[in-house]
Amino acid sequence: MEFISSVITFTLISIISVIGVYILTGLTGMFSLGQASFMAIGAYVSGALVVKTGMPFWMAVIIAIIISVMIGFIVGFPTVRLRRDYISLVTLGFGEAITSLLNQTQSITGGALGFSGIPKRTTLLLALISAIVCIIFASYFKTSKYGRQCIAVKSDELAAKAMGINISRIKMTAFLISVAVTSYSGALYAFYTTYVDPSIFGWKKSAEWAIMVFFGGVNSLTGSIFGTVILTALPEVLRFAAAYRVVFYSILVLLIINFKPSGLFGEYELPVGKIIKLFKGGRKEEKGNAA
Amino acid sequence: MSVQIIINGLALGAVYALIATGFSIIFNVLKFSNFSHGALMTLSAFIGYFVSVGTGLSLFPVILISMLAGGLIDLAGEFVAFRKLTIRNTSSIYYFVSSITLGTLFEGIVTIWVGPNFYNYPRFFKSMVVKFGSLIVSTSDLIMFITSFAILMILMFFIQKTRLGRALRAVSYDRDTASLMGINVYATIQMAFFISGCLAGLAGVFLGINYTLYPQLGNLVVKGFIASVIGGLGSIFGAVVGAILLGLMETLLINFIGSGYAPVFSFLIMLVFLLVRPRGIAGSNVQEKA
Amino acid sequence: MLLDVKGISKSFGGVKAIQNFSLTAEKGDIIGIIGPNGAGKTSAFNVISGVYTADEGTILLDGKNITKMEQYQITREGISRTFQNIRLFKGLTVLQNVMCAFDPLSKYSILGGLLPTPKRISEERKGRKMCEHYLEVVGLLPYKDERPENMAYGLQRRLEIARAIACEPKVLLLDEPAAGLNPTEVKDLTELIERLSKDFGFAILLIEHRLELVMGVSQKIYVLNFGKTIAVGTPDEVRENPEVIKAYLGEEEKKC
Repeated sequence: MEFISSVITFTLISIISVIGVYILTGLTGMFSLGQASFMAIGAYVSGALVVKTGMPFWMAVIIAIIISVMIGFIVGFPTVRLRRDYISLVTLGFGEAITSLLNQTQSITGGALGFSGIPKRTTLLLALISAIVCIIFASYFKTSKYGRQCIAVKSDELAAKAMGINISRIKMTAFLISVAVTSYSGALYAFYTTYVDPSIFGWKKSAEWAIMVFFGGVNSLTGSIFGTVILTALPEVLRFAAAYRVVFYSILVLLIINFKPSGLFGEYELPVGKIIKLFKGGRKEEKGNAA
Repeated sequence: MSVQIIINGLALGAVYALIATGFSIIFNVLKFSNFSHGALMTLSAFIGYFVSVGTGLSLFPVILISMLAGGLIDLAGEFVAFRKLTIRNTSSIYYFVSSITLGTLFEGIVTIWVGPNFYNYPRFFKSMVVKFGSLIVSTSDLIMFITSFAILMILMFFIQKTRLGRALRAVSYDRDTASLMGINVYATIQMAFFISGCLAGLAGVFLGINYTLYPQLGNLVVKGFIASVIGGLGSIFGAVVGAILLGLMETLLINFIGSGYAPVFSFLIMLVFLLVRPRGIAGSNVQEKA
Repeated sequence: MLLDVKGISKSFGGVKAIQNFSLTAEKGDIIGIIGPNGAGKTSAFNVISGVYTADEGTILLDGKNITKMEQYQITREGISRTFQNIRLFKGLTVLQNVMCAFDPLSKYSILGGLLPTPKRISEERKGRKMCEHYLEVVGLLPYKDERPENMAYGLQRRLEIARAIACEPKVLLLDEPAAGLNPTEVKDLTELIERLSKDFGFAILLIEHRLELVMGVSQKIYVLNFGKTIAVGTPDEVRENPEVIKAYLGEEEKKC
């Protein structure tokens, strides 16, 4: 029971991280290989604030998100104007920089040994509610003018500019939202495991998330979520050794790229609105109105 | 300090230049950032390691074997990860996912193969240092610098002066027109991957000698990426200059502040460059095509 | 003067794509730009719409200097365009494609981007209504939920036009809107261009190879060759111009 509950919680936290990546990669077509570093910032900052200053959990989380977004702005500012390859390369460098910074500042972060003693605040319920709220935000975002402009930018930057879309600004918006969501997932993670160390936030984590988004279907939020569930929970339940899990992932994804390039779900979205009408429940929707 | 540090920086820069060049060749031909390059370095460096341990070969045969292995693996990688995308002419997003997946696969294979341990190449040189009068230079630095320099010169000559090099440039410039001119585009792309893989093998062995050999060695590829950004994405010349510059700056800064912060410096150097001169040293401007 | 282009030039390396090009347009004008392939017509459009910044010269829109503005700002100032090689947004429906052009004008904040605020609902409704209207104008309303990549070529061209007018332009640049269309479609397009000019009152600049179309709708025609303007005048004047016949029409006829 303990095991299952922890698998579910980790999967939910992954879903939140992946929603950040979905907005950035799935909708806007940008790849951040330093996305996990923002998770690290969320985790370390909120953890350190609570442990070192005794600040209340929620306040620490909010401050951590704000700091992540500010750092995201500094990283994004020179890069969003340039061709999309730059954001992957720059965030990759950023990720390495953050990892080395975390390793070096032993007095604050515990260095390579990790940062421990974080109180356990994240419960299965909190993770579940957070994931649902994030899903709702993301599905509204997708159908908003912002989401449309993101897809337009992904599809054709030149045409997007010709339609009066300020592409640097849209890219920055998408990037900062994704940073905020991912750093929040970091805070949840830290307060669940009560211990974090720099090694888990490397570029491969970011790559894994991008793969999950892609695996489910680039444009589809439903697909991204299912992709995350399949690729997080399945290997966990099957108790694959970590290294084999990676190989299993990669082969699966290479097969998909070669034989079903639109991903598992393509552009399909779960018609939640219709399902709710079908059941005619008075309760509010659970998954947002995925169009 | 001084001269020894500069030579140290040049040697490091030369290895970064190998990475950056290997990366740039693929970037030019297919217009995407090949994130599998790092893991390929690790994989071929390990192949070289096990060959040298098993056979006791000296450094240069090991380098050759690693280069060949890198080239061949990259050919296979092109086939499983990128060929269909090129045929379908899909957007760069797919190349990206494919390349990080391929990279993860390579690294996964290495981890399963060798475990999470650290390895050291056997000592290839009789003496650790070479003396030029009062000047003392580490042998490995000298060999790294000279070999990388020689290989890069050969490559430049190949790209600028030979028929195949011309084909490579033509395909980089405009794939469709090149194809109309009778150039075998797919063969040229394969050649680019082979060359890039060879460079990855060489860089991998050098990095393994300079540091130690471990499954995440490929993460150092980020230096090559940063060098390409500083140099200007898409320009091989710019990448080489950027790499040398990065190697020198890094070595100097490390000398003052300590090696742990090196990635922070490289990142900050890149950020400053992007703010001040986003087109990079070479000033090539690769905007997404109109 | 609505649009006043004064002596713009643009070179790429050694190639002078467009030299000392000037053009004026008033509200309601339809102006044709013709010339052989590589004459610099699309380059002129790219400079006017801000894809490239002019090396020399100025562009005034309603008296405002827009020469050095960013492409998206120029669009918001009131110059919108279509593309010779159709560039619709994949991953969006026909209606959403048009709404993208309207979205920069839509006024709701990021909060409305994440939650269905009343402001968002009303702005979205307004935007959808306007864009459905634009689709109706070009005759694509029945296709609004289709994916553009699944539509016939001629319809895609119309969608490009609908998207461009959703930017609420003062000047509309059409880059070879008839390319690849069959004769009936060309006739429909001619009729559409005239109707747009009359209903919306913006100035239309038209690059076109199909002379029957340009000659039919334009009040004024600019002829380019090798980046230079070789003739300006009414369709009749241009048709008679020996320079034009030599440089352009003669060659074209031989080719055909």
